[in-house]
Amino acid sequence: MNWRHIQLIFQREMSDQLRDRRTLFTITILPLLLYPFIGMLMTQVAQFKRDSSVSIQVFGLENWPKQLPLLDENGELQVRPGMESLVKGVTFDPYDGSETDREALEKLAKESIDKDRYDLVLFVEENFREKLTKRLKADESASSESLSAGELPDQSAAEDTATDPGVENLAAEDTPSQEVFADKEEAERSLSNDGLSIIANLARDKSQLAQRRLGDVIRIWQKEWTSLHLTDAGVNPKVFEPINLQATDTAPTAVKKAMLWAKILPFVMLIWALTGAFYPAIDLCAGEKERGTLETLLSSPARRREIVWGKLGTIFVFSVASALLNLFSMYLTASLIVKQLAAASPGLQEALGPMPFHALGWLLLLLIPMAAIFSALALAVAALARSTKEGQYYLMPLLLVTLPLVAIPMMPSLEMNLGTSLLPISGAIFLIRAFIEGRLAEAFVHMPFVLGVTATCCWFSIRWAIRQFESESVMFAGSERWNLRLWVHHLWRAREDTATPPEAILCGIIIIVALFFGRIMAGAGTPTWLFIVQSTIVVQVGLILTPCLLMATLLTRSVRKSLRIHRPQTSHVLAAIALGFCMHPSYMLLAEAVTQIYQVGDDTKAALSGFEGIVTSAPLWGVICVFALLPALCEETVFRGFIFGGLLRQKGVLRAIIVSALFFGFVHPVLQQSISACFMGVLLGFIAWRTGGIICTVIIHAINNALGIGYAWLSANDYELPPALAWAMQTEESGAWGYTETWVFVSMLLSIALLFVIARRSTETQRFIQAEMA
Amino acid sequence: MVEVDQLTKSYPDLQTGKFVALDHVSFSVGEGEIFGLLGPNGAGKTTALRILSTVLQPTSGTASINGFDVTKHPYEVRHSIGFVSNNTAIYERMTAWEMVEYFGKLYGLEQERLEQRMETVFSQLQMNEIRDIAGARMSTGMQQKVNIARAIVHDPPVLVFDEASLGLDVLVARALLEIISKLRDEGKCIIFSTHIMREVERLCDRVGILHRGKMLAYGTLAELAAQEQESDFEELFFRMLKNSDAQREAAEGDKNVVKTVSLWGNS
Repeated sequence: MNWRHIQLIFQREMSDQLRDRRTLFTITILPLLLYPFIGMLMTQVAQFKRDSSVSIQVFGLENWPKQLPLLDENGELQVRPGMESLVKGVTFDPYDGSETDREALEKLAKESIDKDRYDLVLFVEENFREKLTKRLKADESASSESLSAGELPDQSAAEDTATDPGVENLAAEDTPSQEVFADKEEAERSLSNDGLSIIANLARDKSQLAQRRLGDVIRIWQKEWTSLHLTDAGVNPKVFEPINLQATDTAPTAVKKAMLWAKILPFVMLIWALTGAFYPAIDLCAGEKERGTLETLLSSPARRREIVWGKLGTIFVFSVASALLNLFSMYLTASLIVKQLAAASPGLQEALGPMPFHALGWLLLLLIPMAAIFSALALAVAALARSTKEGQYYLMPLLLVTLPLVAIPMMPSLEMNLGTSLLPISGAIFLIRAFIEGRLAEAFVHMPFVLGVTATCCWFSIRWAIRQFESESVMFAGSERWNLRLWVHHLWRAREDTATPPEAILCGIIIIVALFFGRIMAGAGTPTWLFIVQSTIVVQVGLILTPCLLMATLLTRSVRKSLRIHRPQTSHVLAAIALGFCMHPSYMLLAEAVTQIYQVGDDTKAALSGFEGIVTSAPLWGVICVFALLPALCEETVFRGFIFGGLLRQKGVLRAIIVSALFFGFVHPVLQQSISACFMGVLLGFIAWRTGGIICTVIIHAINNALGIGYAWLSANDYELPPALAWAMQTEESGAWGYTETWVFVSMLLSIALLFVIARRSTETQRFIQAEMA
Repeated sequence: MVEVDQLTKSYPDLQTGKFVALDHVSFSVGEGEIFGLLGPNGAGKTTALRILSTVLQPTSGTASINGFDVTKHPYEVRHSIGFVSNNTAIYERMTAWEMVEYFGKLYGLEQERLEQRMETVFSQLQMNEIRDIAGARMSTGMQQKVNIARAIVHDPPVLVFDEASLGLDVLVARALLEIISKLRDEGKCIIFSTHIMREVERLCDRVGILHRGKMLAYGTLAELAAQEQESDFEELFFRMLKNSDAQREAAEGDKNVVKTVSLWGNS
């Protein structure tokens, strides 16, 4: 690789982009203006929301208890402690008309609402005051009943209540009736006070706001009313708040201030890093195709790889710059807004103070690998586009794939663990959050995994971008008219011995979609052995094998070749049989490790346990047929046959191994199974490649499944472990059969040796595989 | 200098299954010679020249430039060639000087030598007036001059002009032909594709006529005239294309006849 070429291309692309007013505006000017503008708008909206008052018409205000009036003599809200902020927010307007009929008043109220004169109408019913007082009496009655039932009495309180002159006075003034309820049920019924009612159009925001504010007013009034009566009755109102939880917060203020920022800023930063990468990528690739300058560059001495690196560098710089400027502008604006808001609410200052400086440093560290991934992805996607317009269409799928990964760390219940640290992009955000929040030990433990995943993603993205540029299609510009009929006709006419890479990927997608809908439609049937057999056959034959066979028949010239049914070398078959047995301990170990990292949920455990119970009570031969032979045949035919063969073309060995393994993993319903299957798929892919067909992988797959399900069946049916196997196997505490540590280690070494045997190919196999890869 | 042997290029095509853009084309061009690649639109000229400039890969056949195979040694080929096409545009936000300098550096010229070459090329192509003008503000003629300048700045032994005069006015086209003629006099090996007969007559030492991806004729103008007994080159060109199409139609007609006969026979 010529670094001088890369440097030259990078410098040219940089200066070219910097001379473009649109790019400069989007990358630099827009973020600097956007956030202050949004901030100003938000402050104004908040101000407007604070200032905007709602109006409430009150009918029957005369029925309100006079001890604690709702409104003062001027008709304004009687301010009580806690109501200060509501004074400006609610305007009450008592009805001063002469109408007294309830129905007529209701009609008037509805009219007021419909004609938008008021946001809400409050009815204080005639019996409101009476009900309030009845409640007091009901409490007394309930209290005396409690006493008679032998409950623990609050003697002094009861006495105080009975002799309190204040309560008597209140009752004398407000209550026309001195009724004492005969029984507790009647007293309870009377507790439902329907003396207040509202009429409002709750489809309107202002009516909803009026309802909320009225609720606040009533709550505060109610508290004071209760407090007053309790005090009058000689009861300390605090008795209803018996616990005062004392909290000691060990989090340093700096960390608390960083918490919210640590969640929001990575999200904003990464979205802008992606956007900042995408637009220059479109211009540098699809734009150059349109302008005809890409061909000029491709005919220069710069290699395609060097062109990619030069362009990638430019896109990377713009991605980083765009994210940084947005981050800076947003942070500055938000800090100023918080400062302004904090003046009114000091608690906010502590919760949302300026972010610690070191946190910004960590964010920058996160930005670099993420911008590299996004830049490479954007360049590769832009290389697919024939025009700028087409390129812009590709932004949405890229965003749809990336957004969930960026958003996952914002979910409140998710923490960093081995599982989440292995998620691309999300893992890096979790790591940076751990650093920002000062959880250094946790961060350092997970850092190697995050770095590993991030580096792998970077490598694959860059490799994809280079591959796009090395393809001739990178040069062709202009739109292509697509015709379904011609395309179908072309597919039929241009059939080849094996599937093409797009056909292979389409097959995988069809199977995943079919399984998704198939599983939903199947629902949860009665868990019987017959049901399990039927559903396994439907899944394996109907949803996995059938689409593949149809595609192989319709889209290829040779079903046998497209499914990679090829007689393997004898040495490969023997090695595959041995490998099936030797690899099983490693697979069990892997499955266990995966289960440790990604814990199986209780629901899944319960479902699997029920399933195991049924399976282990079925005949062993049937279990082996359904769970070992059938999946081995169907899944290998599809994943290591049709899909692998299609992807293997054009020397796409790595692509074939990885993509077929991913599809293989996706078809397993349980996440933990999927992850183990993905790893297993990679190994089976390698074997399928070296042996030139699926026979060996069918053998390994069948033996692996048979051993797993067979051991479970035998141990569940109380079979004793044969003493002859004591050197390799043992009975676990749970009663299940497992492998000894020595055998696990030895079998691993043997597996590696057997893989070397499989990697050796005869000339005939070599020739066959080379033809497959052409 | 340039050796092309049985060069074939095909693309997948929705309509016909496979579109053969070049069908076993062979020719050679020597030092100090202008070879005219002549053909109507869609004849396969651009495909052939894109393969020579290593932008495309041939489906089969070989091509070498200055002794380097285009598929095995593309990097060396690109150093030996200057490629100008009506598809190769110039950067809109770069001045003429910057653009030529950029390509000169990509070709690995040292700063001193580069400046020397740029001065020579700018004077030779009379571009000194436009050296500080950005590509977007240039006329088509100016852009084509810049294109030529960036293709010859590294002084390559082989130059490929693919319909380079397309869209140029008479004056600029004439100037372009003069430039190409001078380059030939300097000993350059030049491949010049066009569908304008007068340019061929005026410039080319030998010509190859491409039609539907096939080389219909190949030789000097005099040889072709003698072969077809036609002194007017334009007339000769038309006649060759017409005969080729007629032969093709006849061949297709024969196929239909055979089909019809077999159908009758079957019935």
